[in-house]
Amino acid sequence: MTEHADSATVAARMERRWGTVSIGIILALVFMAAYIGVHQGVMPQPRVETVDPRTLHIAGEFIESNLGTAAEPDGSVTVRAIGQQYSFTPQCIVVPADTQVTIRATSADVIHGFLIEHSNVNTMLVPGYISTIVTRFPAPSERLMPCHEFCGAGHEGMWGRIKVINKAAFAKLAADQRRMTCVAQ
Amino acid sequence: MSTEPRFSHRNRWFTIAVVVTALIAATSAAMGFVVLPSLQTNTRFTGIWDAICSAAGLVRAAPAGQPVVQANYKTTDVILSSSTLDGSSAISIGRGATLAMRCTMCHGTRGVSEADSPNLAGQYIMVIFKQLQDYKSGARTNAVMTPRVADLTDRDMRDLAAYYAYLPRLPPYHPATAGPAPQIVESGAPMRNIAPCATCHGTLYYKTGSAWLEGESSVYLQAQLKAFASGARHNDISEQMRNIARGMSSAEIEAAAQYYANQPQ
Ligand code: HEC
Ligand code: HEC
Ligand SMILES: [Cu+2]
Repeated sequence: MTEHADSATVAARMERRWGTVSIGIILALVFMAAYIGVHQGVMPQPRVETVDPRTLHIAGEFIESNLGTAAEPDGSVTVRAIGQQYSFTPQCIVVPADTQVTIRATSADVIHGFLIEHSNVNTMLVPGYISTIVTRFPAPSERLMPCHEFCGAGHEGMWGRIKVINKAAFAKLAADQRRMTCVAQ
Repeated sequence: MSTEPRFSHRNRWFTIAVVVTALIAATSAAMGFVVLPSLQTNTRFTGIWDAICSAAGLVRAAPAGQPVVQANYKTTDVILSSSTLDGSSAISIGRGATLAMRCTMCHGTRGVSEADSPNLAGQYIMVIFKQLQDYKSGARTNAVMTPRVADLTDRDMRDLAAYYAYLPRLPPYHPATAGPAPQIVESGAPMRNIAPCATCHGTLYYKTGSAWLEGESSVYLQAQLKAFASGARHNDISEQMRNIARGMSSAEIEAAAQYYANQPQ
């Protein structure tokens, strides 16, 4: 009888330990995901937005005259761009340094990649959906933006440029243009 | 072992396991649906239900941003799709042939031009239709062509497109003696964001809406490339051809035009 009670206590203790360890692991993973989300800015797309890829050029925010960088009233900027076989429009995106940048982009045909070197920006442009990324570029620089998702026979020629300029220079551009790009500069 | 039922609230292990699992689920859900979304800088947190719907991938409209900036020039209204021109019948082609009588003096009796007007014979049906629409809407302008489309109806344009697409096109003519194809045509200039012409205009691959260029006059081709580069021609959808032409050197424009224009004498 005592021997039986002893082994039951041992079993219960072992059960408790294993339980504690596995719950600990689960909680550690949950907090790890939260930590990365908060401190490294790895956030999923905030909401799913759709758009008709065949009519991007006709109406809505992705018509060619509305593409490029827009200064927002709150001091941040919004960049709108599209990927299509085999170029980005605009081909060169200009943004101010040390400012919140919201990128809204989509594809007019097949899946393209959207990646800005030396930054956290790395997503896909899926026809029918709008990809939204929020980022910040610390200092003036020039970066490449290759399409990194094979999109057809001319894929290797598909990339764009990002030009990060200082805030004052950007404000000067924004004074007389509503949508800014650095195409052909 | 005890004979107590395992799934019962009297089994202490069972109760604890259920409670702990529920707590973990609730914590994770709160973290994922409430804490993280409310920290996101680009969307205002508008309630738990909203956050759950967004996280679950329900389609949401973005809050209205600033008004869209309209172009101060006309861009194309044409939607490219393979079904736009379905059912080009013999009747359509016949009607097109009759209408085309007014075009022959510039585009040739069988759609092959003798001057520097573009050839239309064997051109892709979608291309002819789109260009006619664009001339009519003013997205593409030309002193000679614009007046010719003023009285054409949608149906006329379909029929003309069907007729010209049906005529035999000039085949490519690139004998070995003419040397290899220019680099810009075959491989583009990847370092300058220029895809090879042949990936859109044929031979390597075809992109809907791109024109058949073989046998076209060199003068016409160069004029179009320069017009795209300067933006004087801006009816290409979302700048797809302007993006290419802007980066081309004048030597490349000439080489590509000569290559496509090549025909037996
Ligand atoms: C007086 C001469 C003339 C007549 C008549 C004429 N065209 Fe044209 N067409 C031109 C010229 C020149 C161009 C090139 C214009 C440009 O540079 O935009 C052109 C361009 C075109 C194009 C664009 C081709 C391309 O590859 O982009 C189409 C399509 C066309 N014409 C169809 C017609 C049709 C259909 C008619 C008859 C209803 C017609 N044209 C009558 C001179 C003419
Ligand atoms: C990304 C695909 C793409 C590539 C690459 C491309 N083109 Fe085009 N091109 C187009 C499309 C699409 C059009 C039709 C534009 C429109 O809708 O009016 C076009 C139109 C043209 C026209 C006008 C044809 C006409 O009859 O109106 C010329 C000329 C031309 N391209 C030459 C070239 C040359 C030369 C190259 C290589 C340097 C090239 N293209 C590369 C997609 C492309
Ligand atoms: Cu791509």
